[in-house]
Amino acid sequence: MKNIIILISCFITFGCQDVIEVDLPTEEPRLVIDALIRLEDMDSPSVLVQIRASLTSSFFEEVPPAQLQEITITNTESGAILNLEESIPDTGIYENEWDLQELTQGELELNIEYSGQTYLAKTKFVPTVPLDSLEQGTTTLFGDDETEVILTFTDNGERDDYYLFDFDFGEYLVSEDEFYQGKRFQFSFFYDSKLEDDRLVTISILGIDQDLFNYMNQLIQQSGEDTGPFSTPATTVKGNIVNVTGSTNNDSIDHDSFALGYFAVCQAFSDTLLIKK
Amino acid sequence: MGKITCLPFYLLILFSISLFSQERFTLSGTITEIASNETLIGVTVAVPSLSTGVVTNEYGFYSITLPKGIYELQISSLGYQDIIQTIDLSFDQKINFQLLEDAEQLEEVVVTEDIERLNIRKPQMSVNSLSVETIKKIPVILGEADIIKSILLLPGVSNAGEGASGFNVRGGAVDQNLILLDEATIFNSSHLFGFFSVFNPDAIKDVKLFKGGIPSRYGGRVSSVLEIFQKEGNSKEFKVNGGIGAVASRLLAEGPIIKDKAAFLIGGRASYAHLFLPLFDIDNTAYFYDLNTKLNFKLNESNNIFISGYFGRDVFSISESFVNTYGNAVLNFRWNHLFSDKLFSNLSLIYSDYYYGLKLDFVGFKWNSGIQNFNLKYDFKHYLSNNFQVNYGINNIYYRFNPGKIEPSDSESGIIENQLIQKYANEFAVYVDIEQNITEKLSLQYGLRLSNFIRLGQDELNVYENDHPVSFDPDLQIYKEADPIDVINPKRSEQLATYTNLEPRIALAYSLDPNNSIKASYTRLSQYLHLLSNTSSPTPLDVWTPSGPFVKPQLLDQYALGYFKNLKDGDYSLETEVFYKDIQNRIDYIDGANLIANDAIEQVILNGEARAYGFELLLRKNRDRFEGWLAYTLSKSEQRTPGRNASETGINSGSWYNTPYDKTHDVSLYVNYELNEKWSFNSNFVFQTGQPTNYPIGQFEFQNLAVPYYGLRNKQRLPAYHRIDFSATLTPRKNKGRKLKAEWVFSIYNLYNRRNAASIGFSRNGDTGVNEAVRTSIFGLVPAATYNIKF
Repeated sequence: MKNIIILISCFITFGCQDVIEVDLPTEEPRLVIDALIRLEDMDSPSVLVQIRASLTSSFFEEVPPAQLQEITITNTESGAILNLEESIPDTGIYENEWDLQELTQGELELNIEYSGQTYLAKTKFVPTVPLDSLEQGTTTLFGDDETEVILTFTDNGERDDYYLFDFDFGEYLVSEDEFYQGKRFQFSFFYDSKLEDDRLVTISILGIDQDLFNYMNQLIQQSGEDTGPFSTPATTVKGNIVNVTGSTNNDSIDHDSFALGYFAVCQAFSDTLLIKK
Repeated sequence: MGKITCLPFYLLILFSISLFSQERFTLSGTITEIASNETLIGVTVAVPSLSTGVVTNEYGFYSITLPKGIYELQISSLGYQDIIQTIDLSFDQKINFQLLEDAEQLEEVVVTEDIERLNIRKPQMSVNSLSVETIKKIPVILGEADIIKSILLLPGVSNAGEGASGFNVRGGAVDQNLILLDEATIFNSSHLFGFFSVFNPDAIKDVKLFKGGIPSRYGGRVSSVLEIFQKEGNSKEFKVNGGIGAVASRLLAEGPIIKDKAAFLIGGRASYAHLFLPLFDIDNTAYFYDLNTKLNFKLNESNNIFISGYFGRDVFSISESFVNTYGNAVLNFRWNHLFSDKLFSNLSLIYSDYYYGLKLDFVGFKWNSGIQNFNLKYDFKHYLSNNFQVNYGINNIYYRFNPGKIEPSDSESGIIENQLIQKYANEFAVYVDIEQNITEKLSLQYGLRLSNFIRLGQDELNVYENDHPVSFDPDLQIYKEADPIDVINPKRSEQLATYTNLEPRIALAYSLDPNNSIKASYTRLSQYLHLLSNTSSPTPLDVWTPSGPFVKPQLLDQYALGYFKNLKDGDYSLETEVFYKDIQNRIDYIDGANLIANDAIEQVILNGEARAYGFELLLRKNRDRFEGWLAYTLSKSEQRTPGRNASETGINSGSWYNTPYDKTHDVSLYVNYELNEKWSFNSNFVFQTGQPTNYPIGQFEFQNLAVPYYGLRNKQRLPAYHRIDFSATLTPRKNKGRKLKAEWVFSIYNLYNRRNAASIGFSRNGDTGVNEAVRTSIFGLVPAATYNIKF
């Protein structure tokens, strides 16, 4: 549903496009935490938890890794704490093994110490449903070089579900079950460019909550090319990482030095598809 | 206190009544065009010996009351030959005048009043009239004469760029324009996302745009009134005209049903089905069509009946799996009745409807939404005396809003049929509007409108804690949708919210001398409907929503001051105005708000405010072979939505930000040169400050997505927008004396092929993995030819 506007604006901006040079304003680098943890194997007793810490950069530059002083996850119900370590230096990727059960049961807290600031994020495991089928389609929407994939899944009628679909190559889509509660639902996704023959794509369905749905929906919009007359206002998309430095005295929280990114633990199902021409 | 403030008002009435003590008689009638019996709007009936006069109203009626005597009358209107007639006014008289068209006699330059010409004495300011002849001359994209594109060349009027729908007046939003077609409200003025407007210029008689000083007979939108009247139809003889253009063709037929008594008009226009096909190598269809119909019956001297209809649709289809249909439909019955030679009335019964439909096969659903309304208007014009005219009336509109119904597109689809909650409302208004000449030099127009809006009961209504449907997260400093604590089912007859507003309007003109005047006005307007649009330019699927328990009506205060001058005996006119306006309760959307298929729209809306101010200049060369105008606007348009209490940030940190249609400088130059009977040339030049936009202040990566992030809204601007258009009209000499008249219009849009940026997008190139700034420009140089016929 959310993509109707994008579809229309693709259609309308048939004029010419060219790459231009623009002088951009800049800002002091900010901490970015990518802590979206996908749980695909619910049979294995332990999971490798990976979190990526980086800094913002100017739009045309590379994103540098961030060196954290400390990063831990706490299960507030069991009291278990997981310390994450940067196993390969200067990658900004912090990881450690943890019991699956610690991630799926109870409230989780992510604590980070960075550059004298303390950050906190809270989340809870969100389950999802598996993909029933995944196949390649033959139709196109806006141009011949598109590739269609058709996904089918059956929504759980017992709860309100929000989904994040990962189509590989940084292509995402969000959906909510408001209009197909408890039903078997099928839809098509179109890759912009023709994928080469025998290309293996991995497509995942992730369970997310409403806040992450809103967050991802904004990220997808802001990272897309859509900035035509039908674009929505650009903004700083804030996630759920809160700067709690000095939070004992609530007034002293520095709301300007917020971090970007999101902490979430999602059940995920993946399927692969060999693209044929 | 109350009595004292009322005193001047009584004095004015007493003063005007005292004038009745002389023996006075009324001259009234209707002015029509001789060849077609089409009534003429804005014709001047002047009495030079008393230096007074009136102009005909929207239905061609005039009424003037003078002391007993013998007068020479001058009846004049641009494009028509003057009538000079001596009358002996010793009893009340009805005289209908018929004017002869003067169109093709260029050598004889007409020295007359003119609907586009400046009226120095009238208090009405901030108004622009365009004749259909002018609109047809202005070169536009793809050669289709276009009302909306033409008014963009006037000061204070702009839009959000090429390919953007609607228009913005004095820094106001698109949904703040009241667009009236034969008194009926039109909800979407654009075809094909703004490339064309919904009005067929062949069927149009008169176009008037009020940007300020809006008389109290209008209400319901806070920025402007665009009033359009369709032709009534030729009751003398059968006529056809039409044209074949690069994108669309049109045909209009009109003729008598009963000669001199009843006439019909039917006009159709359609674009070619595969309009953008050459631009896309895919299976798609994009076209529009519209149909204008009108019947008029002249029952007798005192009664006229008009029935008019409009139906327009846009259809898009891409590979049959994306089908999009939308448009307006209007049906309208009007009855003109003369209660006396001084009291003119018009009763309008109007049904209008806006429909939006979408079918997405690849997701498996159909979507229908729309708005319907029933509108009753009863307007009176009371020509009490030459110096005192009272207009009054009532208006009631009942609305039904369908925010959307979703249905599965086929049996395979997993979509569950779902009707979003329909909304109902009633808007009532009563007004009085007085036009009064106080002295030779000072004239006033003042009035009052009382408007009342009732949001009626609906099936399900959410109830929120503290009546706050939007919650604020103090940790993350963001707004979120609040969860309803209860859902109630109020009866249809229940009033969910009621708003009543008193809207005073006042305008005055002081003539320094016959060619110079100063005018000032104050206008208050309220608007109860809002177009939910979170994009730089509205899209056809944006839905209208009524004010109610959570969305307050918009309230405008506008002040304008102007200096007006006729130069060289009216050959040139100069209009300068400054304005300031302030709008309360302008709605704004929380970051990431989803407006599509949202059944609880109140959860993403906050009430903010907007303001705009500026300076406008219009220098016009009025007649002769060489005519045209220069328009310049210097303005600022901003909005803000502060937090509801001290702990909230508000939208965009609560600070003022430029609206997407804020343009500091806006220059339009339009010239028309008639070389000879065969050739005429038109050109316009447009320069505008680039629209506000956002450049990213940085980027971050999340789950393999490169996300640009932005600071405060609309801080940067696109490069300046400018272009020149040119058109030439060829009227072959063989037309002379022939029944069939033909002409060619050749046009070039964007003569120097400037790549004006419609937007600059920031994203990662999927093929190269490199971040890029991509400029999109819509129209380069576009040549077009149109062939018009008339017989």
